[in-house]
Amino acid sequence: MAARKFPCSRCLATISLCYATRMAKPLTTRRHFGTLAILGAAATACGPTYVRGSEEPGLDDPAMSTRLDKRDLQKALHEQLESFRDSRVFGGFQESAERPRVSIFPLANETSEHIDSALDALLSDVETWLVEADMFDVVSVERQRQMMAEIDKQQGGGFDPSKVAAVNAQLGTQFYFTGKVYNADERTEDARRVQYFMFMQLIEVATSTVKWQHKTEITKALLD
Amino acid sequence: MAARRALVVLVAALLVLTGCAGHESRVKVALDALDRGEPEYAVQALNEELEVSTKDEVPPLEGDNALLLLDRATILQSIDDYEASQRDFQLADKGIELLDFSHSAADDVGRYLFSDDVGPYRAPAFEKLLINTFNMMNYLARRDLEGARVEARRLAVMQSFLKEQRETTSLLGLGSYLAGYTFEKSGRTSEALLSYEEALTYDDFPSLRDPLRVLTGGRSKSPRVDALVGGAGPLSTAADEGQAEVLVLVGYGRVPQKKPVRLPIGLALTAVSGIISPYDRAKANELAAKGLVTWVNFPRLAKARGSYSLPELTIDGRRHSLEHILDVEDEVRREWEEREPTIILSAITRTIARIVAGEAVAAGTNAAAGKKRNGGGVVGLLAGLATSAALTAADTPDTRSWTTLPSNFALSRLRLPPGRHTIVVRARGMTKTYQLTLEPGEFQVVVATALR
Repeated sequence: MAARKFPCSRCLATISLCYATRMAKPLTTRRHFGTLAILGAAATACGPTYVRGSEEPGLDDPAMSTRLDKRDLQKALHEQLESFRDSRVFGGFQESAERPRVSIFPLANETSEHIDSALDALLSDVETWLVEADMFDVVSVERQRQMMAEIDKQQGGGFDPSKVAAVNAQLGTQFYFTGKVYNADERTEDARRVQYFMFMQLIEVATSTVKWQHKTEITKALLD
Repeated sequence: MAARRALVVLVAALLVLTGCAGHESRVKVALDALDRGEPEYAVQALNEELEVSTKDEVPPLEGDNALLLLDRATILQSIDDYEASQRDFQLADKGIELLDFSHSAADDVGRYLFSDDVGPYRAPAFEKLLINTFNMMNYLARRDLEGARVEARRLAVMQSFLKEQRETTSLLGLGSYLAGYTFEKSGRTSEALLSYEEALTYDDFPSLRDPLRVLTGGRSKSPRVDALVGGAGPLSTAADEGQAEVLVLVGYGRVPQKKPVRLPIGLALTAVSGIISPYDRAKANELAAKGLVTWVNFPRLAKARGSYSLPELTIDGRRHSLEHILDVEDEVRREWEEREPTIILSAITRTIARIVAGEAVAAGTNAAAGKKRNGGGVVGLLAGLATSAALTAADTPDTRSWTTLPSNFALSRLRLPPGRHTIVVRARGMTKTYQLTLEPGEFQVVVATALR
């Protein structure tokens, strides 16, 4: 957040106070010009500017909220996919002659932050990775959303996870990715800390067996 | 000659400063529009203050923008633009939190010399709690249970923090009620019961009786829940009965605004007689005796905007009763009465500091003028007065608050047969009509707000 801007009247008052307290010294015209220059600078120095990430090295580095940002998502994606690649189930897929049909379900947001769009972005990254791996038949995330929206409507609001099996049966998938994100959100007088725990898993549709699961931890905070 | 020029500069500064206006003037046009029943115009007026063109634009979170966003979000909710309202509430929530953690020496100096208005806005406990409560209403109205659950959890974090700070408020009741409703509709029975139990610690909420009969299955849960259910036994869900459920939530009226007032120093001293230090009292009396200090500027809570009768609810032409669940205005007054003496004391201290600064300038100017020629006393006196007057003019009482908060809330919770229904809410001379088409087992939250 940008520093608070003082109303110009307050700047003037501050400067006039400083000015007045210095009146014990002989005043010169040059000092008046100096004061006016400061006033002018104060009036014109501020204003937001749009920038491009490529023009501003390190633009993605600072945390700007306690939500998940690009850096956090990259970390989560890297850790999750690394774990998946090293898993036994992935080894089995590599050795298998058949391409398993997989779908990707939304990560349930069980946190105190509105991170849905970040989680959607993460799922799209997972989808991209699975497609690029060229080992799976991946059901479009968009198609699943449509189906879930239909079920959501039938349910009278709120997607019922117990209906996932029915959706998968309709999609003809053998495995699906899903997960949940929890957080521990604590606040004190001079800080707020949000610890995220992201669980991703691969579930076999036929047996509901968890074939792979991994946890990623991310901490964000707002400090005084 | 140089001293005279300096004096001219100071007088010019004084003229500029006289134009200073507090927060009440920034929201005046919007509030007047709400009084006339023109909420769209009120949003437009706030857009101008936020320096954006439309409600779809968001301003940077700087200055008091978070506070203005709270007002815009409340008005947008009142015109059923829940999506834009929830975005503004989210931003304001973030902004208010950032302001809570912002401290700077410049702000402290500004507060000491000019006004409490200098420096970041510190939202009182009830405002912080209501941000999440109001946004939960937005998500519920849009039937976005995941979003509502996020707000319910944010509210729980804030509730826990405020409890640790020993700040209690009856406003927790409404938030906990809605959190319970959110979890109930999400099928999370234990979380719903926890939130409802919390709500019942603040009020009776008769409308919770039947939902608790459903959730507890008629079993004993806790003394509060049992007392409300009164051994009535279990109740089938609306879905099991092939019915739909509607929650009508009505916010009406507006909390009183803070207004700047000028009080004679004598009266101000009386108001803070119990807490002012002997030094400040002596100094104030001494300056008052010189005729230098006569008035103290500070904010005061305005009178109530009339009495509030319970809104009327009609569904398909039949009257239904509404349950009064929250008096926000009462909480605003209670909180203000706790803080008011401290605010007046700060104003007196500031006044003294300004006069002392003026006297120092006068003495310094006299000394400087005396070096060049004798008889610089008049210039010194004028310079001192000008300094004091300039600082006084910069003293804009801190009238910042969430000005568009409804002063009261009422609700009705009922089961309706599936199909089309017409819901009419009348409150504060305004009539709002909602057309609903309900499926069996479905729920719908209607948020009706009359901000005048």
